[in-house]
Amino acid sequence: MGQALAATTNVLILSSMYILVALGFALLFSMLGLLNFAHGAVYTIGGYIGYQFAVRMGLNPWTSLFLATVIVAAFGAFLEKFCFRPFVGDFNRIVMVSVAITTILQTLVNIWEAGEVLTLPPFVTGVFKFGRFAVSYHRMVTFVVGALLLGIASWFVSRTRWGQQMQAISQNMEAASLQGINVHRISNLAFALGCALATIAGCLMGAYLQLSPFMGDTMFTKVLILVILAGVGSIGGIFVTGLLLGGLDVLLPLMMRGSFSDAIAVVIVVVLLLFKPKGFFGHEA
Amino acid sequence: MNNDAVSQPMSAGAAPDRGRRAKLSAVGASIVVLGLLPVFVNSAYTLHIFILTFIYVIVAVSLRTITTSGQFPLAQGAFMGVGAYAAGMASRWLGWSCWITIPSAALFTAALGILIGYPFSRLRTLYYAMGSLFFGLGVVQIIYALGDWTGGYSGFTGVHPIFTGSKVPYYYFSLGLAVVCSAALYRFEFSRIGQNLKAIHQSHEVASSVGINEAWYRVMVVGVGCFFAGLAGACYAHYNLVISAASFNLGATLGLFMGVLVGGIGSFAGPIIGTFILTLFPEFFRDLKIYSPLVSAAILLIAVYLFPQGLVGLPRIMWSWYVGRGKREKVVQAS
Repeated sequence: MGQALAATTNVLILSSMYILVALGFALLFSMLGLLNFAHGAVYTIGGYIGYQFAVRMGLNPWTSLFLATVIVAAFGAFLEKFCFRPFVGDFNRIVMVSVAITTILQTLVNIWEAGEVLTLPPFVTGVFKFGRFAVSYHRMVTFVVGALLLGIASWFVSRTRWGQQMQAISQNMEAASLQGINVHRISNLAFALGCALATIAGCLMGAYLQLSPFMGDTMFTKVLILVILAGVGSIGGIFVTGLLLGGLDVLLPLMMRGSFSDAIAVVIVVVLLLFKPKGFFGHEA
Repeated sequence: MNNDAVSQPMSAGAAPDRGRRAKLSAVGASIVVLGLLPVFVNSAYTLHIFILTFIYVIVAVSLRTITTSGQFPLAQGAFMGVGAYAAGMASRWLGWSCWITIPSAALFTAALGILIGYPFSRLRTLYYAMGSLFFGLGVVQIIYALGDWTGGYSGFTGVHPIFTGSKVPYYYFSLGLAVVCSAALYRFEFSRIGQNLKAIHQSHEVASSVGINEAWYRVMVVGVGCFFAGLAGACYAHYNLVISAASFNLGATLGLFMGVLVGGIGSFAGPIIGTFILTLFPEFFRDLKIYSPLVSAAILLIAVYLFPQGLVGLPRIMWSWYVGRGKREKVVQAS
């Protein structure tokens, strides 16, 4: 029972982190067809910037989370304007630019922290006790913050003016532009939003597990799986596939050896893709 | 005279003889220079870098061959790994000679490529790229999972070498192989099959309406590309003797793809030039140590912003600068 509870909280935390990172990537992927290979590196650098503030400068963890988010969001807006906007629609050059950015960010992390594996301080301490069960406040806060942000982000995308403009662009960029939507400004906003969400996930995961220069690579493959399985243009689908993938990642290692479970998770995804190449919830024919 | 100079690079197709002779002599000269290199260079490290570059050139050229049909294969590094592990395991567990393992590993990789390419052939553009990317991830994970046979995370050892002693025979072997493979793929691209592939790239609807079997051609080109990737991988295994799945992951595939793009995906020489630049250039900056990845990032950014057609376009751009300057001066004089 205790193990089941631990597994459930793990599934929920991992899934919410996957979905947080995937949301920004999926927004740009569906709006501009932009395959941003640098999204994993943004997630890594977000965590490391949070570490700079929280440990090197000794700030409050919440303040450092906020500062890191603002900085990386501004950086994301910069990236969109100067590195991605000139090449939208050109798959080859987008891949080149994003690989270059990934290399630069990873090298920066190596220079700063010599590529060490680090841990952020926990956001809150203490253990929540309920009868025989115990869950640390830290894990609860991680999940609650993740879930709250997901709620806010999906409300933003589906209800607010800017979010609806994003959806309009993802349905048809030219028609949206003819309706008077400023495509450049909205995609800039979406990029900044995506980078901010990735940074928050990076900081939370840095406190929940650890920071490593290559954590972005693992996360990026998860994000790709999530977004492709959900289907282009589907925000709701990401939540389903996120829970599915989080479940697979937590439950499969309980049943078999670690390396087998990774292989089986990828094989399941490839087989699903063969039957549903456009994902489960995609709207594009 | 000026008009003639402007039209000359543009109409390379109209005057094939002159352009072709220049290209042939450039290719011949570079082969001669590379062939004479071991006579003057004794450093084993330099030879090692060149041997690896030749092997990667084969894979990069095969990757570009697949892209001529309009598919973006993001699994070429993984297919190289399949070839490497197939050859290595046949060499260690079955004790086969390397002259049998290398061709059979290449054939095995081609068969696997066709087997995988068939269900993927209904995916187009981005979806094909994603499907092959996940397949590549799967290959690496399966190599890790079958640790009892493949060595898992610690790598695979015990492959028999082709040549013992100096690196010079390896150098000539890989150089010869790269030249032969590139020539074969060049012939392939400009054969009737290659033209059909380009037609499919331009418009698969028109191509199938004139009787080109789209699915068959797309599966076939993946098979051909995987054959050469497997061949290169098998040679890599027999040269390096230690192979690890980490050198065939998504990063490796993207590195190969970067070589193709930096050189220029639209030209046959592109992947060759790009791979040479991306592997040799950072070696000059080895003293920078931790900063050295920034050199390759800088090469990528320069290529992306300044050379949309890849570095293959560099002579043409320089020529047009040269001609353009002459033209401007003339305009100034006239006004």
